[in-house]
Amino acid sequence: MNSYYVLNLLIYAAVDAMACLGLSQQFGVGGVTNFGFIIFQAAGGYAAAILAMPNQSANGAFQSYIGGWNLPFPIPWIGAAVVGGVIALPFTFLVGRRLRGDFAAVGLLVTAVLLNLLVTNYKPLLDGDAGLSLIPAPFQGEYNPLSSNYQWVFAAGSLVMCAVVYLLVRRITESPYGRSLRAMRDNDLVADSLGKSLLSLRTAMLVTGGAIAGLSGGILVSYITTWSPAAWGYAETVVLFAAVIIGGAGNHLGAILGAVLVPVGFEEVTRYIPTSNNLPPNLIPSLEWVAIGLLIVIFLWFRPQGILPERKRVIKAGQTPAAKAGDPAKPREPAKLGEQARSAEPAEPTPAAMGTAQAPSAGAVAAGPLLAGTAASGPADGLEPHGEIVLQAVDVARDFGGVRAVDGVSFSVRRGTVTGLIGPNGAGKSTLLAMLAGTLPVSSGRIRYQGEDVTHLPAYRRARLGLVRTFQLASEFKRLTVMENLLSAVPGNRGDSFRGALAGRRYWRDDEAAAITAAEELLERFGLAALANNYAGDLSGGQRRLVEIMRALMAEPRVLLLDEPMAGVHPNLARRIGNELIALCAGGLTVLMVEHELAIMDEFCDPVIAMAEGAVLAQGTMSELRSRTEVVEAYLVG
Amino acid sequence: MSAESAERESSGAGASLRATGVTAGYGGDPVIRDVTVRAEPGQVVSLVGANGSGKSTLLKSMVGIVRVSAGTVAIGDVDVTNRPPEDVARAGVGYVPQVDDVFAPLTVRENLEMGGYLLRPAEVKAGIERVIAIFPRLGSMLTRHAGKLSGGERKMLAMGRVLMLEPAVFLLDEPTANLAPAVARSLLEEHVRRLAQNGAAVLIVEQRARAVLAISDRTYVLAGGEVRMEGVPAELAVSPAFVEAFLGGTVAR
Amino acid sequence: MTIFLASFGFGLVTASVLAIASIGFTLQFGVTDVLNLAYGAVMIAGAFIAYVINQQGVSVWIGLAVAVVACSVGSVLLNACIYTPFQRRGASPITMVIVSLGMTLIIEFGVQAIAGGTAVSYTMSQGPNVRADGLILSAVQLVVIGLSVLVMIGTHVLLRYTKLGKAMRATAANRTLARNCGIRTSRVITITWALTGALCGLAGVVFAMDAGSFDATATDLFLVLILAAVFLGGPGQAYGAMLGAVVIGLATEISAAYITADYKYVIAFVALLVMLGVRPTGLLGKAG
Repeated sequence: MNSYYVLNLLIYAAVDAMACLGLSQQFGVGGVTNFGFIIFQAAGGYAAAILAMPNQSANGAFQSYIGGWNLPFPIPWIGAAVVGGVIALPFTFLVGRRLRGDFAAVGLLVTAVLLNLLVTNYKPLLDGDAGLSLIPAPFQGEYNPLSSNYQWVFAAGSLVMCAVVYLLVRRITESPYGRSLRAMRDNDLVADSLGKSLLSLRTAMLVTGGAIAGLSGGILVSYITTWSPAAWGYAETVVLFAAVIIGGAGNHLGAILGAVLVPVGFEEVTRYIPTSNNLPPNLIPSLEWVAIGLLIVIFLWFRPQGILPERKRVIKAGQTPAAKAGDPAKPREPAKLGEQARSAEPAEPTPAAMGTAQAPSAGAVAAGPLLAGTAASGPADGLEPHGEIVLQAVDVARDFGGVRAVDGVSFSVRRGTVTGLIGPNGAGKSTLLAMLAGTLPVSSGRIRYQGEDVTHLPAYRRARLGLVRTFQLASEFKRLTVMENLLSAVPGNRGDSFRGALAGRRYWRDDEAAAITAAEELLERFGLAALANNYAGDLSGGQRRLVEIMRALMAEPRVLLLDEPMAGVHPNLARRIGNELIALCAGGLTVLMVEHELAIMDEFCDPVIAMAEGAVLAQGTMSELRSRTEVVEAYLVG
Repeated sequence: MSAESAERESSGAGASLRATGVTAGYGGDPVIRDVTVRAEPGQVVSLVGANGSGKSTLLKSMVGIVRVSAGTVAIGDVDVTNRPPEDVARAGVGYVPQVDDVFAPLTVRENLEMGGYLLRPAEVKAGIERVIAIFPRLGSMLTRHAGKLSGGERKMLAMGRVLMLEPAVFLLDEPTANLAPAVARSLLEEHVRRLAQNGAAVLIVEQRARAVLAISDRTYVLAGGEVRMEGVPAELAVSPAFVEAFLGGTVAR
Repeated sequence: MTIFLASFGFGLVTASVLAIASIGFTLQFGVTDVLNLAYGAVMIAGAFIAYVINQQGVSVWIGLAVAVVACSVGSVLLNACIYTPFQRRGASPITMVIVSLGMTLIIEFGVQAIAGGTAVSYTMSQGPNVRADGLILSAVQLVVIGLSVLVMIGTHVLLRYTKLGKAMRATAANRTLARNCGIRTSRVITITWALTGALCGLAGVVFAMDAGSFDATATDLFLVLILAAVFLGGPGQAYGAMLGAVVIGLATEISAAYITADYKYVIAFVALLVMLGVRPTGLLGKAG
C-alpha cells in the first residue's frame, strides 16, 4: 500500500477526529446545537493561511486576500485556534437567548450559508470562490513538504494534536464543570435555578468548540495548502453532526469513532467501488450523501445514543479520603466560600454520619448543608438561628396579559421556620414562588432577601446567594445519575468552573470528595443510597421528587422554596421529608413550602400563609386558619 | 347528511355516564386509582376536592386524553374507554377543559363553528343562534379573536362551543375558575343547571365546593386520586367529615 | 427607471415563486410543528419529475401537473412515515431538524444520483413578451405570477371560508381541543400535507422555469429565502408567508439591481437573523 495513501488517511482522520471532538464537546456534552459549526473550521483554516502566506502582491499577485504576514510555524496554528474561538463569540446571541431550539439551529445554519456566500463573493477578502492556494506548509523553507519523512512527521504531529485535544475535552467533561454542562444540557431551566450561568456555560462551549475546530482547520490547510469556500458548505456541518450522532454524542471516543466511520470512512469506501463509464459520473458522490442521510435517520430512530453511548458515571462509596470516626468535622474556612462560616458538628450520631462525615482534609465543603443545618446555633455564624426576617415580599404583583395573577402581596418569612403557603387553584402561589426565586420577573413590588433588594437579580445569582427553589413538575437531570444530580447542585466546588476543569483532577479532587461525602450522607438519610448510581430519569415519581429535594439541599440553601414537594409522595415518605426539614430548620435553614395537602401544613408548617385570588388572606398556624371562616370559605367557595 | 352527524346521539336526549374502577395516569405512577363515578341523564353531579386530587385527570381519562390502565368508561351503553377524543365527542360528550379552552387565533364565530363541526351547515347556523340566545354578550363579539377575550368571556365561549352539539353528556372542568363570584354563581345556577334540566347528564369539577353543591344532585369528594366520600349535597354539607376530607389530606390517614 | 422596473419585474416573479413555496412551508409548520427543511429537496424533485416528462416530448405544463401530484403524495408519506413516528416518540425540536436535514440529503442527492450533476432546462417556449410602461415580462412569467395569485386567493378562501380550512387552523391552534370537537385531526393533518406537498411541487416546477437551468442542488439557497419569508411573516401564519414572500422577493431583486447581484441573498439572510433575534414570532405573530 502506498505510504502516501496511509499518511493522507491518518492526517484526515486526525483533522476530522479533532473537529468531531469539538462538536462532541459543544453538542454532546453542552447541548449547544450549532449548525454553523463548519464556520469555525473554515475561519481557522483561513486564519492559518493568511498568517502563513506572504503578502498578496509578493505571492504572484493572482490571489487577493487580507493579511499575508508570512509568519512561521507554529503561529499559524495558534492563530487558527484563536480565531476559531473568537469567531464563536457573536454566535452567543442566538444560543444564549431563550429561542426555540430548532429556530436557533436554523439561524446558525443560515449564518453558515451567509458567511460562505459573503466570502465567495467578496474577492478582496479571501480570494472569493477561487480560494487561497500556495499556502505554505510548516517549515517549508527548511524541509521538502512533499518528502515522505516530512509527511510522516506531519502525520505524527497531527495525531499528537488530536490526542491533546482529546485529553483536553475529556478533562473538561470529567470535571464538576462537565457535570454542570451536562446538567444544562438535560434541563437548562433547572440548571439556572441551581446557580449555573447558562450564558457563561454556553459561551464557553461555543468558544472551546470553535477553537478546536479552528485548529483542525489550520492543520488541514497546512497540509492541503489550499482552502476555498467549496470545502466548507453547510453540508460539511451535516457530515460532522452525522459523525457525532453515529459515533455517540456525549462520548468523546464515540466522536473519534464517528470521525473515522463517516468523513474518513466514506471517503475511503468509495475508492474501492469500481467506476465505470456507464454510470453517471456523479453517482457515487451522490449516493454517499444519500447514505449519510439514511444513516442519520436510521441512527436517530434505532440508536439515538450512537455506537458508543455516553458512559454512566458511577461514583462508588468510599471515594472519600479515609474517615476518622468520632472527630467532629472542622468548621468551614470562611475564605473558601466567601460567605460566613457555619459550624459543622454532626447533630445525630447516626452511623452514616459518623462514618463518612469526617473528611479531615476537606476543609471547605465538609458535609456542608445537612450538618450545618442541624448544628446547634453556632456562634461562628454570627446569625440568629430564629426570628429575624430572611425573605420578604413587598407589594409584589404580577400580570399576565391583563390578568392579575398576584395582586400586591406582602409578607415576611422568618429564619428557622417552615412556612407554608396554601390556597386554592389560581390563588397565585406558584407564581409568587417563581417571583421569589427569580425564575419569573415581578410586574411591580420588591423582593428582599437577607435585607437586600434582589428584585432584579436573575435566578442563578439568587441561587448562589442561597435562595434556592424546586419545581412542581419533574425536573431531575435525566441523563445524570442520582449522585450526579446531587453533586451538580454543590456551590463552591473548585472544579465547577472552566479554569478549574482545565486545572485537572488534582485541583478539585478534595472539594469533590467532600461533596460526595455530603451527598452520600444525604442519600442515607432519605433512604435512596442504593439508587445512587441509577439514572435519575429511571426512578419512580416519588423517588424523583426526593432527588429534587436532596439536590436543592445540596445547594447549601439558606432559604429553600419548595413547590409542592409532597405531590405524589407516599405518606410515610412525606412525613420523613417533613421531619428532616424541621430538623434542618432548627439549625438555621428556612423553608417556604407551597402545598395542597393541608394535613402537611398541620404537621410541619408554622406559620402558614393563606392566599386566594392573588392576595394574602391570613397568616397563622393551621388550626388558627381553620377556625377563620374566610379561609375555609376561600377553599370551599374559591 | 354526513356520516359523522349520523353517528351522534340525537340532540336533547341525555345518556348516562359511568366510569367504573378507573385507574389512569400519565405514564408513571397512576394519578387516580379505582375511581367509580356515575351521572344519569338530568343530573348534575359534582366532583370536588383539593388540587392534585385527580379531578382533572379523571375527566381527561374519560375523553381519551389520558390513558386508562384499568376500568371502563361508558356513555350510555357505548364503551368509550381509551377511544380517541374525536370518537368520544361523536359518542355525545361535550368536554370543556380547564385551560386552553378556546381556539385563540380563531374568531368567536369560528370557535362556535368548530364546536358544531359535526353538524350540517343549517344546524350550525341554528346552533349559533341558540348559543347567542343563552350568552348575548357573545353575539356582539362574533368577529373578535378568541385570544382577545376577557376571562369571563372566554369561559362563556368555551361553554358556548360545547353547547353547539347539544351533547348527551357534559364534562366541565372548573368552568368558573378565575371568574368573579357573582358571575360564577350565575354560570352555575343558570346555565349549568339548565343543561341538566334539558336532559343531559352533567359532570362538573369544581373547587368552589359550596357553590356547586347548591346545584348538584350528587357529589363525589376526591382526594389523593381516590373517591373519599360521595353522597347527596345536603347531607355532605353538614357532615364534619366532608370539611375534613376537603381540608384534610392523605398524610393524616 | 428601467433598471428599477426590470428588477421590480424580476422581484414579482421571485416573490410569486417564493409565495407559493412559503405558504406550503409555513402551513406544514403550523399544523405539525415541524420545520420541514426537506421542503427544498421535494421542490427540486418535483422540478425533475416535470423535466423527465418534458424530455419525452410532452409539454412541461403536463409535467407540472404530474409533479404536483407526485410531491403531494411524497409529502404525505414523508410526514406519515418519518416525522410523525419521531414526534410520537417525543423527539425534541432539535432532533426533528436533524431528521429533516437527513431527509434533505436523501431526497436531494437521490435526485442527483438519478439525474446526474449537470444542469438541465425545460424545453418550453417563454411565450410572447408583455410590455407595460417599461416593465417587460414573458408570458410564462405572467403565468407564474398568475398562479401565485391564484394560490394566495385559494389559500385565503380555504382558510377563511371552508370547514376544512378552519379545521386546519383549529388543529394548528389547539390539537386536543380540535379533537374534542370531533375533528379527526390526523385526517386534517394528512390533507394539509397533501395540499402543501402539492404547493411544494408547483413551487419546484415554477422555480425551475424561472431559473432557466437547474440542477439537484438549485434549491439549497432558495430554501433560505423561504425561511426568511416564513420567519418574517411569522412561522405558521399563511398571511405572514405571503407578506414575507412579497417583501423578500422584491427586496432581493431590487437590491440586486443596485448592489451587485452576488449579494442579493444577503438581505434575506440578514432579515432572517434579525427576526430570529428580535421577534421570532414574526411580524404577524403575537409576541411571546
